[in-house]
Amino acid sequence: MLEIKNLHATVDGREILKGLDLTVPAGEVHAIMGPNGSGKSTLSYVLAGKEDYEVTDGTITWKGENLLDMDPEERAAAGVFLAFQYPMEIPGVATMTFLRSAVNAVRKARGQEEFSTPDFLRIVKEKAKLLKIDMAMLRRPLNVGFSGGEKKRNEILQMSLLEPDLCILDETDSGLDIDALRIVSEGVNALRSPERSMLVITHYQRLLNYIVPDRVHVLSKGRVARSGGPELALELEKSGYADYGQDEASAA
Amino acid sequence: MELPVQQFRTKAEQDLLDLYERSADALPGSAAIAALRQSAIRTYAGLGLPHRRVEAWKYTDLRGRIDEIPPLLAEADVQVGESELEAALGKAVLTLPAYRIVLAAGEFRGDLSDVGALRDEGVELGSLAQMLEQPPAWLTASLESGAARDDNVVIALNSALMTGGVGVRLPEGLTLQKPIHLIHLDAPGRPGSIYTRNVLVAEEGASATLFESFGTLGGQGIQRNAVTTVSLGAKSAVHHIKLQREAVETIHLNVWAADVGAEARYNGFQVSMGAALARNEVHVRFDGAGGATDISGATLARGSQHCDTTLVVEHNVPACESRELFKLVLNEEARGVFQGKIVVAKDAQKTDGKQMSQALLLSERAEFDSKPELEIYADDVVCGHGATSGQIDEELLFYLRARGLPEAEARALLIQAFVGEVFEALDDESIGDALAAVSAEWLGTPMEQAGP
Repeated sequence: MLEIKNLHATVDGREILKGLDLTVPAGEVHAIMGPNGSGKSTLSYVLAGKEDYEVTDGTITWKGENLLDMDPEERAAAGVFLAFQYPMEIPGVATMTFLRSAVNAVRKARGQEEFSTPDFLRIVKEKAKLLKIDMAMLRRPLNVGFSGGEKKRNEILQMSLLEPDLCILDETDSGLDIDALRIVSEGVNALRSPERSMLVITHYQRLLNYIVPDRVHVLSKGRVARSGGPELALELEKSGYADYGQDEASAA
Repeated sequence: MELPVQQFRTKAEQDLLDLYERSADALPGSAAIAALRQSAIRTYAGLGLPHRRVEAWKYTDLRGRIDEIPPLLAEADVQVGESELEAALGKAVLTLPAYRIVLAAGEFRGDLSDVGALRDEGVELGSLAQMLEQPPAWLTASLESGAARDDNVVIALNSALMTGGVGVRLPEGLTLQKPIHLIHLDAPGRPGSIYTRNVLVAEEGASATLFESFGTLGGQGIQRNAVTTVSLGAKSAVHHIKLQREAVETIHLNVWAADVGAEARYNGFQVSMGAALARNEVHVRFDGAGGATDISGATLARGSQHCDTTLVVEHNVPACESRELFKLVLNEEARGVFQGKIVVAKDAQKTDGKQMSQALLLSERAEFDSKPELEIYADDVVCGHGATSGQIDEELLFYLRARGLPEAEARALLIQAFVGEVFEALDDESIGDALAAVSAEWLGTPMEQAGP
């Protein structure tokens, strides 16, 4: 279970999160919606442990432990996974090399044995097939020259390989056409399980037709302004975010 | 001997003259070679050791760096077997499929070299020391051509003091399927100077890879001067590769000078990791139209290492192409220097020259000096240069850490990715992989062996 209490966070001295409370029980999928600048992406980076995001107040407890005490790699080992809105391109590192390094690092940290090469290849092939990822793509440098859809599918492949139990999807639907959206959503849905919590961050309701959440939270000005069931997303689709205002910075 | 007057000589500068005086009688070679040595030492005497006010040595103060001149190591009786070779170079490099030639403290070691196999392929080769006694015409021509770049102190000292090396001639049309691996070793224990000269002549249409590796047997206070001249006939191709892993105290001076004939290709590739001070010069001169060269490499330096790569490409004839790409990884107080000079003569129209150097600074105390020099006298040319220096990208680092890679491992992967580009471009994949593995070892992580 993820428990966030009174979270305040600043970036470059500017306060973005201003007392955010959120609880995600094990096995539930929660959607985080909200206007631009409401703090959605900031929340995802704070959860993953990005250094330039400074937490000034509040707590984040993950499975009873203080998440804020952990380095990003320790969070990954503890089961936290952030699917990036803009996955990084790294020329010179083959995607497969990267996947293997990541999986083995996490397994090592969890006290599990590293995969042998044939085992690892078999597992990657299996999971890649589900996401319609060509093995040739995995021989290319990480995300270099990948289309938007390929990058996002690659993120979900990493998610399935690292077996996290807190999946944070930061605007995974951005830049996806309808076919790619379906493939990615199917990949995410295949990972839903009673042990796994998910935080699906999105600006649009569209993604939630495919990944149906248990709860929907609307972020506004760095706090949760309203929470409800999946019907809340539909309501927002009609009325828009007008009632929730824009953060001064992004409205400008 | 009458020497040109230099107003002031440092002790080391004088010691070099004395070393020559003491050694001259015992140095190998015919009367003509002795005359060449004489002329070379006079050249040196006029120049002295280079320092920062000499433009080509702006960032590398050799005169300030050398206090003592150790004796020649030519007579050192060096014990070398497979285990010493492996310790000096690492298994990945030593086991590359290649014709092996070993120079131990500069001495040609026929007993450790694949001389017979190379001769069976039609290659003419031998110990330089022996060849100098009755030099064949191709050797004399190549030595004089090298010496002709007579404002070059490293070559002048080498011509004066060379004790050994190897001479290789590839006859017309011969293609060697395996590289020639020329292994340079030092000698354990006592300080010494090693002067080696290697000559490679590729006749028309011949092609081969010459891989020179420099390893240590535990040398202390070694001063190495190694010169290789390469003469490329029309339509010939030579791939010239270097791995430098000298002892940490060594002063390593190395010049490659290639004369490239019409439609010939000369590719150079250098990986520098060892030595306290390394100066790597590559001079390429196009003598026939339609030639091409690609000089690239990687420098990995830490501690107080100083590594200087200086390239000079002379486009004397039309329609030649040159490419240069060097990557430097500099940690702690290491200093990396890249100087790239491209000269395009008046008649060398349609020249296409490009140059790039990129440094990754892992410490705030590391330093990178880059100096491009373009001298263009023709008007229909495409020439470009660029240099960058930067630190590890924090965004990339976070991405890798968020995927569970510990910080040190993530950094190593990013550094490897930075230099990886040059290794990938190497035509000979097995050498490229071995060199990438050696550099990965330097970076402190095991190389990912398996691919899908």
